[in-house]
Amino acid sequence: MNRRDFLAGAAGALATGLIPAAALANVPASYDWNASPPTDSRANYIQWMVANRGEDPGFLGQHFDRYQQLLSHRDLWDKRNERAFLLTPREEFVTKPNLPVAYEWHHLDIGFGVTITGPHTVGRMTNAIDVQFGEKVLEIGTGSGYQSAYLSNLTPKVWSIEIIPGLAARTRGVYDALIARGYTEYQSITTRNADGYYGWEENAPFDKIIVTCGIDHVPPPLLRQLKTGGIMAIPVGPPGAQHVLKVVKNQAADGTITVARSDIYGGAIVPFVPFTKLDGGAIKGTHNGG
Amino acid sequence: MSVSQSAASAPAFDSTPRLLVYLAVAFSAGAVIALQICIMRIFAVGSWAHFGSLVVSLALLGFGLASAIMCIAEGWFDDHWRGAAATALVLFGPLTVGANLIVQQFPFNAIFIVSDPSQKWRLAVNFVLYLMPFVAGAFFLGTVFLKSRKSFGSVYFADLAGAGLSGLLFLLAMYVFPPENLITVPLVLWFAGCVSWFAGLRSRGGLLVATLAAAAALGGHYLLPPLLDIPKLAVSDYKGVAYARKFPDARQVYENHSPFGELELYASSYLHFAPGLSDNAAFNLPEVPENAYLGLYIDGEGPSGVMRALPADETAYFRFLPMYYPYLLKASPSTFVVQFGGGISTAVALRSGSRTVTVAEANPAVLDAFLNDPGLRDFTGDILHDPKVSVIPYEGRLFLAATKDRYDVIDLSLADSAGLSNPGGFAIVEKYAYTREAMLRYMRALADGGILSVTLWNKEEPPKSVLKLYATMVEAAQTTGGADAGTVANSFYVTSSYLSTTTVLYKRGGFGADEIAKLRKHTADMSFDEIYYPGFQYDTKQTLAILDGFRSAIFGNGEGAEATVSQNAAPRPGSAGSADAPPPTDAPSDAGAPPDNTPVPATTMDRLAWHYLINGGWDDIAARYVFDTRALTNDRPYFAAYVKTGDLPRVVDRLDLLQDEWGYLTVWATFGIACVAAFVLVLMPVAFGWRAIFRHNPGKFRTIVYFGCLGLGYITVEVGLIAKFVLALSNPTVSASVLITGMLVFSGLGSLSSERFLPRARTIMPAIFILIAALLIGYGTLLGHALDWIGTYPYALRLLFSFGLIAPPAFLMGFPMPTAMTTLGRLGKDHMFVWAWGINGCFSVVGAAVVPIIATAWGLSVVLEMSGAAYLLAMLAFYGILAPLAKSVSPDRIEAR
Repeated sequence: MNRRDFLAGAAGALATGLIPAAALANVPASYDWNASPPTDSRANYIQWMVANRGEDPGFLGQHFDRYQQLLSHRDLWDKRNERAFLLTPREEFVTKPNLPVAYEWHHLDIGFGVTITGPHTVGRMTNAIDVQFGEKVLEIGTGSGYQSAYLSNLTPKVWSIEIIPGLAARTRGVYDALIARGYTEYQSITTRNADGYYGWEENAPFDKIIVTCGIDHVPPPLLRQLKTGGIMAIPVGPPGAQHVLKVVKNQAADGTITVARSDIYGGAIVPFVPFTKLDGGAIKGTHNGG
Repeated sequence: MSVSQSAASAPAFDSTPRLLVYLAVAFSAGAVIALQICIMRIFAVGSWAHFGSLVVSLALLGFGLASAIMCIAEGWFDDHWRGAAATALVLFGPLTVGANLIVQQFPFNAIFIVSDPSQKWRLAVNFVLYLMPFVAGAFFLGTVFLKSRKSFGSVYFADLAGAGLSGLLFLLAMYVFPPENLITVPLVLWFAGCVSWFAGLRSRGGLLVATLAAAAALGGHYLLPPLLDIPKLAVSDYKGVAYARKFPDARQVYENHSPFGELELYASSYLHFAPGLSDNAAFNLPEVPENAYLGLYIDGEGPSGVMRALPADETAYFRFLPMYYPYLLKASPSTFVVQFGGGISTAVALRSGSRTVTVAEANPAVLDAFLNDPGLRDFTGDILHDPKVSVIPYEGRLFLAATKDRYDVIDLSLADSAGLSNPGGFAIVEKYAYTREAMLRYMRALADGGILSVTLWNKEEPPKSVLKLYATMVEAAQTTGGADAGTVANSFYVTSSYLSTTTVLYKRGGFGADEIAKLRKHTADMSFDEIYYPGFQYDTKQTLAILDGFRSAIFGNGEGAEATVSQNAAPRPGSAGSADAPPPTDAPSDAGAPPDNTPVPATTMDRLAWHYLINGGWDDIAARYVFDTRALTNDRPYFAAYVKTGDLPRVVDRLDLLQDEWGYLTVWATFGIACVAAFVLVLMPVAFGWRAIFRHNPGKFRTIVYFGCLGLGYITVEVGLIAKFVLALSNPTVSASVLITGMLVFSGLGSLSSERFLPRARTIMPAIFILIAALLIGYGTLLGHALDWIGTYPYALRLLFSFGLIAPPAFLMGFPMPTAMTTLGRLGKDHMFVWAWGINGCFSVVGAAVVPIIATAWGLSVVLEMSGAAYLLAMLAFYGILAPLAKSVSPDRIEAR
């Protein structure tokens, strides 16, 4: 067993402090809401990202490959979400032992008994709540920080609450370090260590809420802090087989507030994991993408 | 040479007091079995029990490995038995502690078995390390057996009785030692074995070495971890209790360890429970109470919510819980709560105006905590001592079967703690409270117009457990309601909340129109989904698309997705990725629009199920559905094992999707590995010395069949009965201990008795085999009724009756093994003797793995019938054992042994 393997499965507490320094180069260009990397080819994407974001070409290649698989599997539904996915460096939010598999479709251990959700589920879930520029989004369960980082490329108003103090502090440190390196979009993420059950009353109401912690009911305070017409997304089930619950808050003509539960596919049954792979740059649809 | 003549040959331990040899064997065998249970407990508390089963099952292949080596080097072991036995025995303790400590530093985490290749290696390291002490134990026992081959029955009695009594000892030790220190039990037994062995040999040096080894082992376990700051038992970060411990204000308010589990209660302001609460509660109520809960964890799994005694205004939200439904129709009912759990159902029953609440709880540790712990009594307002509450200290289904009392409401709500999704998967656990027979009892215990309310977690997509529940309840209603389909159709009302809960109401005598109207209004008020009500109309045109869609979603290759996507599906990304795509401005989307009334596929599937269950045709639907949805019965009481056997080859590349089924899939993995390993180990002696070892041994094939059948037959009875006896004993750990003790001790007595019949084995053994087969097949049919009856008695009597039931087959099953082994020994078939023991061991491992496979596919009665068939086959092969050695083997060589 090599050292990496040993570290990979060490107890959660050990994972603290294993966040990678990764490529410590500063971001060369300032953040521009209207700028978007090209998606016509892998090479052009990498070239643009190196020039504008200063990221590692190896990871960028994996990033683009995963992007194509998300497209193929219908996990990115519009251009804004494609851009957000392509601009969020997942490798900055995984632990060091998991760097080689940062862009695989699996959920990964981040310590503290918490996982970073797989990119396909993050994509589906975020697309499902259809975040518009300027909308206020609350995330319950900051975890690795990846989800809010993705959101911060859709709207500059993101709040995120983490219940575990050690994890909250670590992820805050990740954001701060990234902001220092020029990822200024993460300045729009406000975090705190608290019990997410009660939401964030001072900043309510929210247009969209993502809840990534396990609970046996949807917390009433969160439903109250959701705007009428707002959407909440909650992944349910074990990490590798999560299904996303979509909760929409409605107001009837008589003023009565009701809540409707559905999935994020509007009545369709879709394959539950990506069974696609890249073969010579083309998507092949008959193999497990992992 | 006849078998009886050779019995007079020189005893193996001619200078050793026999009693001490037997004691050494008994203690050592006890240490081995105690270590098995101990490892199971370590996995159950630290991570996931079913992976413990895998590791322990495979570690028992150590017996096959030792046997294969001893068979190849039989002469050496015969000549150097003192050194071999002493070395193996002394090593057992230090190897046990060393293996455990190292394993705990490299914990295996099932959640990442797909994404992290190192996890497979960790599991392999777990297996290899835990294998070591079993190999040591096997070498010791094998060497003693080899030297006792002329009179195997007595030493085999010591082996079985020692192992059996240790099962009971371990059960009692669980009251004394917390899980991380249970390893003390095998260590103490092992040291007692060492003392007996070396005292018997009058070896002071041996005693000294054993004492030093014991000091090293115990010191290593108790002193090293604090010194090095390493865990003795690493609890996975992904266990429920590990998460609760991370809450800043979490504090443990209760802890108790017993055979009924490691019970812990935590207090924290971060704990919130309102299982299945309607989302509409948010807009119709003041706040849900704060700081009102404790989290209850058993073996680290949970939490189940325990509620503080609250004033009436703070319990207004009860009306928004799914378990409130029966109280909409029943004012001042006499209520029966089938399982107390954390007490929420009981609290709801009291707050909803029940004039009496009878509550059953089968876990004595839970009852003891709520009845006797001052802190818990204070917190819960002493709910179990409420004048309206009476407590039944055993399974509710057993009480209802026997009582003449009738109830207006019977509630079985969310007996599983956090829902039916566990990241490490579920072990294959018997759920006797949810079987057709149990439902039948609940229904029959209803007063006229009484309501049975069953709420289950509905967090699976595609639905699995809820479909099994529906099928089970309808089957039970059809049984109790007779052939009158109209009565059954009018007796149910079903509602669910997507990815939350489902509630099935059954009313004795059927619902009235006004009652249905009331229930439907409440469902609308709660924003729950209606699944079924009398007169419900379902559009059958959707059926095939739904069934095929779910199959494609799980077992398709992704290409079929297009066909299953409806018009309401998510927008296709269009020309995404193309060079001329528009700039990334807002794309049109309907995601924020109010949803239409299209039900999600899972809800349609639920409605579809009820349509066909009530109107007929369910069997065809179930056959086409992606997962197994057969009703639970007392013979097949499993929610697990939902993957159909024919689909198993397809699961390998999509294990993540079936994460909650890993307990079942692990059983198949164990079975596969065990078969391969057993094949290799059984044939290893053949490869190494077929001509030299077996050339002159006639009846080789029949010997393999004979001992294979015994290994398979015995263990399948034992494991099958452990599952079956949970019916009466309510707890799998207690059932396992009772069965291990009962089976092995009575079989040991059978083994001891068998020596008297050895000269007449040729005529007596066929009768014994036929009796065993008859008993097992009879038990397969009748045991359930007997256990139901036993289950209503006080626990001590239940144990006594259980032993009485186990005794007849177990006693007889003690005959075949020693009779054949002694025969081999006396006929001079020494290599065969050792080999046979190994074959028996290897097939035991295969048999233990095959039981859950057969039980989930065909039922526990088939397991017993299969065991009976194995004994009948052994009867046919028995005469191969009796075939004498070929004449070319020197009689001198035989007698020299």
